[in-house]
Amino acid sequence: MTLTTSRDNTRDDPRDNDIAESLAAAVTEAFENSTPIAIRGGDTKAFLGESGSAEQSLDITGHRGVVSYEPGELVITARAGTPLADIERTLADSGQALAFEPPYFGDAATLGGTIATNLAGPARPFTGAARDFVLGARIINGRGEILRFGGEVMKNVAGYDLSRLMAGAFGTLGVLLDVSLKVLPRPRAQVTQRFEQDQTAAIQNFCQLGRKPWPITASYWEDGTTYLRLAGASSSVSAAQKSLGGEMLSDDVAFWRDVREQQRPLFTDAKSLWRLSVAPATPVLDIAGTTAMDWGGALRWLAGNDDEQGIRQRISQHGGHATVYRGQASSRLHPLSHSMMAVHTRLKNALDPAGILNPGRMYADF
Amino acid sequence: MNQAASLFDPAEHAERASPPDKPTIIAALQAQLPAEMILTEAEDLRPFECDGLSAYRQVPMIAVLPATIEQVQATMRVCHAMDVPVVARGAGTGLSGGALPLDNGVLLSLAKFNRVLDIDTQNRRATVQPGVRNLAISEAVDHLDLYYAPDPSSQIACSIGGNVAENSGGVHCLKYGLTTHNILQLEIVTVDGERLTLGGASLDSPGYDLLALMTGSEGLLGVIVEVVVKLLPKPELAKVAMVAFDDVRAAGDAVAAIINAGCVPAGLEMLDSPAIIATEEFVHAGYPLDAAAILLCEVDGPAAEVEEDIERVREIVAGCGATDVRISRDATERALFWAGRKAAFPAMGRISPDYYCMDGTIPRKALADVLIGIGELSKKYGQRVANVFHAGDGNLHPLILYDANNPGELENTEAFGGAICELCLEHGGTITGEHGVGVEKIDQMCVQFPAAELTQFHAVKAAFDPRTLLNPGKAVPTLHRCAEFGAMHVHNGQVPFPELERL
Amino acid sequence: MQTSIIDAIRNTPDGREANRILRACTHCGFCTATCPTYQLTGDERDGPRGRIYLVKQVLEGHTPTAKTQHHLDRCLTCRACETTCPSGVEYAKLADIGRGLVEQQLTRPRRERLLRWVLRHVVAHRQRFALLLALGQAARPLMIGRLASLKSKIPPRRASSVPSHDRIGHSAASSGRSMLLFDGCVQPSATPHTNAAATRLLNRLGVRVITPTGAGCCGALSQHLSYRDEALDYARANIDAWWPHIRAGAEAIIVSASGCGAEIVEYGYLLRNDPAYAERAARVSALTRDLSDVLAAENLSRLDDIGHGQSVAYHPPCTLQNAPHLHDHVAEILTQAGYTLKPVANAHLCCGSAGSYSLLQPEMAGALRENKLRSLTAENPDVIVTANIGCQMHLESATGVPVRHWIELLEPAA
Ligand SMILES: Cc1cc2nc3c(=O)[nH]c(=O)nc-3n(C[C@H](O)[C@H](O)[C@H](O)COP(=O)(O)OP(=O)(O)OC[C@H]3O[C@@H](n4cnc5c(N)ncnc54)[C@H](O)[C@@H]3O)c2cc1C
Ligand code: SF4
Ligand code: SF4
Repeated sequence: MTLTTSRDNTRDDPRDNDIAESLAAAVTEAFENSTPIAIRGGDTKAFLGESGSAEQSLDITGHRGVVSYEPGELVITARAGTPLADIERTLADSGQALAFEPPYFGDAATLGGTIATNLAGPARPFTGAARDFVLGARIINGRGEILRFGGEVMKNVAGYDLSRLMAGAFGTLGVLLDVSLKVLPRPRAQVTQRFEQDQTAAIQNFCQLGRKPWPITASYWEDGTTYLRLAGASSSVSAAQKSLGGEMLSDDVAFWRDVREQQRPLFTDAKSLWRLSVAPATPVLDIAGTTAMDWGGALRWLAGNDDEQGIRQRISQHGGHATVYRGQASSRLHPLSHSMMAVHTRLKNALDPAGILNPGRMYADF
Repeated sequence: MNQAASLFDPAEHAERASPPDKPTIIAALQAQLPAEMILTEAEDLRPFECDGLSAYRQVPMIAVLPATIEQVQATMRVCHAMDVPVVARGAGTGLSGGALPLDNGVLLSLAKFNRVLDIDTQNRRATVQPGVRNLAISEAVDHLDLYYAPDPSSQIACSIGGNVAENSGGVHCLKYGLTTHNILQLEIVTVDGERLTLGGASLDSPGYDLLALMTGSEGLLGVIVEVVVKLLPKPELAKVAMVAFDDVRAAGDAVAAIINAGCVPAGLEMLDSPAIIATEEFVHAGYPLDAAAILLCEVDGPAAEVEEDIERVREIVAGCGATDVRISRDATERALFWAGRKAAFPAMGRISPDYYCMDGTIPRKALADVLIGIGELSKKYGQRVANVFHAGDGNLHPLILYDANNPGELENTEAFGGAICELCLEHGGTITGEHGVGVEKIDQMCVQFPAAELTQFHAVKAAFDPRTLLNPGKAVPTLHRCAEFGAMHVHNGQVPFPELERL
Repeated sequence: MQTSIIDAIRNTPDGREANRILRACTHCGFCTATCPTYQLTGDERDGPRGRIYLVKQVLEGHTPTAKTQHHLDRCLTCRACETTCPSGVEYAKLADIGRGLVEQQLTRPRRERLLRWVLRHVVAHRQRFALLLALGQAARPLMIGRLASLKSKIPPRRASSVPSHDRIGHSAASSGRSMLLFDGCVQPSATPHTNAAATRLLNRLGVRVITPTGAGCCGALSQHLSYRDEALDYARANIDAWWPHIRAGAEAIIVSASGCGAEIVEYGYLLRNDPAYAERAARVSALTRDLSDVLAAENLSRLDDIGHGQSVAYHPPCTLQNAPHLHDHVAEILTQAGYTLKPVANAHLCCGSAGSYSLLQPEMAGALRENKLRSLTAENPDVIVTANIGCQMHLESATGVPVRHWIELLEPAA
């Protein structure tokens, strides 16, 4: 494994620094004293999940910098405290990008927080989630040991896929140190078409389009309007644009950024906001509130309803799950079944036997 | 009795309380399952003694061929209660000995689970039993213009359960990902016979990504009894360029050049001369028999884009010294170009009685160097090698040709294989890209991972299977084993695990 | 694959042959994917790779029991596995050797022995079979109760339009071209139309068709029942009957039942160690062609549009799909003749007829037939056609859709 290759061939930022050893020492100490610690990056996603019960915090923003990046390999390896913006800029300079379009929710967003929450933007159903791009990671487990899983190559099945497991684990299984991600070339051309249609028609439309080989990379619905983003070679984008029809959106880059960053009025105005994850063809949900749909129907945003029980019940009937983004709830993430919780606590225990890493950050149980 | 015996670490089983004797176990199983599903005699068991890696063989104590999930659960409960290890088996096409049975264990065949249960066109997913052949999924949804993307070369025969257990890739995973990227939900039976659902109907699910953890876990964490796979729309157009080179280095460089140009082909595969000759004899795909290497580069997507990109590919490879470029004219010719690639491993049977397939993955930029390095090792070990591999992913498959009937040749082959693994590691790669560690690369795991990582793997295993009854002895070596291996094998002047006491 | 064949077998011709075939197998399992029996049972022992293993262990000195025999019996010898195998493993040859060895070491129960005896001594003999069939057809209405199941095995009576022996059809235009037409054992009485139609059409095309009397059963039946010497005797008798005509310039040996064709193309291989016949057998094999292959090479413009778009589901027999050197042109000929061919799923899977298989393994054969008929009738064809008498009889016994030999659809042009 060559995560160690310190080929700092990118920007020479004086703030770049490898403080893995001191972070590990801190975790070791916490392990020995059974002191719970809260892992902190840019603090932009604190609103997700629970606040956790740890009083001490471990700041990883000092562990930053791109460790290696060779465009020809389609892989970037960077330290977890690296600002997401730095990474995206580095990639953009070589005509590449993180294809899962991570939301920032604030300028301070770091790579670590992005992976730990496994968030992805509108491209998710077409290109994949953050977890789909994780190739390898260096972590500190709950005993303070520095461990490396996966690698910097496209495929690697040696050992369990623990690096991917870190995605979405909210730091409860390990402190992310370095992450290797697969990156992709930016599309050569992009346009967005809008159509007036109601939600039922939009769902049908999404399902039909999903079965056709159109170069679609985002599909969103809000307030009687469907937005489809087409991307790829300019020839195929304009061909698709012609066949699909609709009206072209002028500043589509800003539009999709607003969708990704929840800057559309639906989000900014809402006192309570729920994220409902469902199978894409799920019919219009019979739940009160204002709705928007992303991910070709697989993601439903619900504003203005704080009936936790009612929402959870409804969504479970549809085989989906509900996360609260804003507002009150007894469990912010969707509760786990008894048997699943048992597996989770055993797994947590395997990586963090003293239960010191972000305890209570996901669920009260671990 | 054979090679496999030496691969097992007696210490792994030493602490087990001695399990009940065979007749008692058989009786307990017979109380739960129809008698014809339980095989107990050598005559019936021998056909199960190996998978696609026939160099390692072990007749299981018992084989069970259940047909329902309840029967799988019952089998697991009996084995759990009696402390009998269980090895799951899908289609037995694995190339790392993952489904190699245990002489004191039950071999659990999932081959009777061969039905597609549901096709959900609206949500673009299919629910299938674990024994369903990979290709059978795409065939079942072909009329809907959908398909299941990961396509291992063994796709005609390998099972989806095996694919999940190995996180199999295929010739199109550069663009479409591995198994882990293409499944939505798994139904598993745990070591104590419980059913668990991982993942779900939506694109993500609450809690940890257990779907990712289970994928590629080589049957060590649970038995997969149902899989929901993602279906993709068939691309509007796909074209494959067959590019010939008279020099392997030029072919390797062309791979890097294509990717560097910002092109992500759907598939980018390479065959070297011995591989070309063996496969051409079977498929008659028109591969140039005098080329040192050929690349198969496929682009797919919207028609206009494909036409544009295939021309770009043509220009790029011409700049890299290609001696000939042929672009598939239609779907039939495209299928023909691929047919050779997909049949390449077993076609080796035409030029050699046995082959040993390696699976190292390296950064693409090291392709040419590693290929040349393998050529040198081939001379050193005195054995022929054919290369057929996923060049776009940097996933090598050197096929070491040998004759198992010649005493000592297998051992020499294994040593050669080990050297190739280490060459890959030296170039920043991994010992296995898609075939899994199984029993075959278990020693090389000691080279790839330090003790702390291995210990962590064992802890994760214990969270699912504390008594190590599921496929013990595979995928993750014990530290004890690594210490022994290290004693025999000094790597770059450094003994792995110096801190462990040697026996 | 590694082998350690015991000394007693290793140096026999069979032992050497078996070893050669086994060594080519890489145990990849590709073949299991297209094996009809493995697809039904999901049991390794019912697939080619497992059967290869069962044979291997016998060769390696492990005494087989009835279980090994059972799984080898369940093999249809459809050879789909051979077509699939990238390594070129000649499964059928290995299976023959294996079955022979097992047969030597085991005595079958009386019932099985009796059935096999009947098959060899009645079915394979043209006159005896004709007599039995006539009796059966006469008795058909009487078959009720327990006998009802037998009824399905007896094909309906068909008017015979040609004498059953000594036939030399003369072509209208005497171009001097001649070909041999193989009659076989079952076909003359069960489906006499087939060769009659073939003869007429060939005559119209200017080919003189010869059906010598001395030729009889192709030997496949005996071969599959592991009476390999008996099979060789049939082969020799046929060669003797054909040889004078071959010397006189017959261009081809036409076979309209692909099951027989697959056997006859192997004469060269089967008799390779018989100095008296090896050379002639090889020549016979080289001249053997499927009826469709022969017709495809002729000028078939007279066939244009005789089908009037009638819809046809074609079942290509395994023997035509998988036997090396037999070429299938049925679909293209029917299309040219104006028939509409319906797509048929899983065309590669055997219908379960497989020579005597449907009689010996009724359960498995029935399941395969059911699946096959489901695929064949999925698009409601007017008629089902095939290219082998065995498949034809097997299929027609379980469906209301007419099942015919494809050549009969060309009658209007003959
Ligand atoms: C010619 C050839 C070409 C190949 N090409 C490729 C390729 O291109 N890409 C690739 O990735 N692989 C390839 N393989 C390897 C192999 O086909 C794959 O690893 C495949 O996924 C194995 O599937 P299987 O059903 O045969 O599993 P098996 O070999 O039966 O088992 C493999 C492993 O999975 C476990 N397992 C199987 N089923 C289950 C289950 N239901 N639950 C839990 N564990 C289970 C077994 O215990 C074992 O550890 C190739 C193999 C051959 C012979
Ligand atoms: S396909 Fe051929 S090589 Fe592979 S197992 Fe079957 S017979 Fe053997
Ligand atoms: S001949 Fe047919 S039935 Fe027999 S093993 Fe081969 S594929 Fe299976």
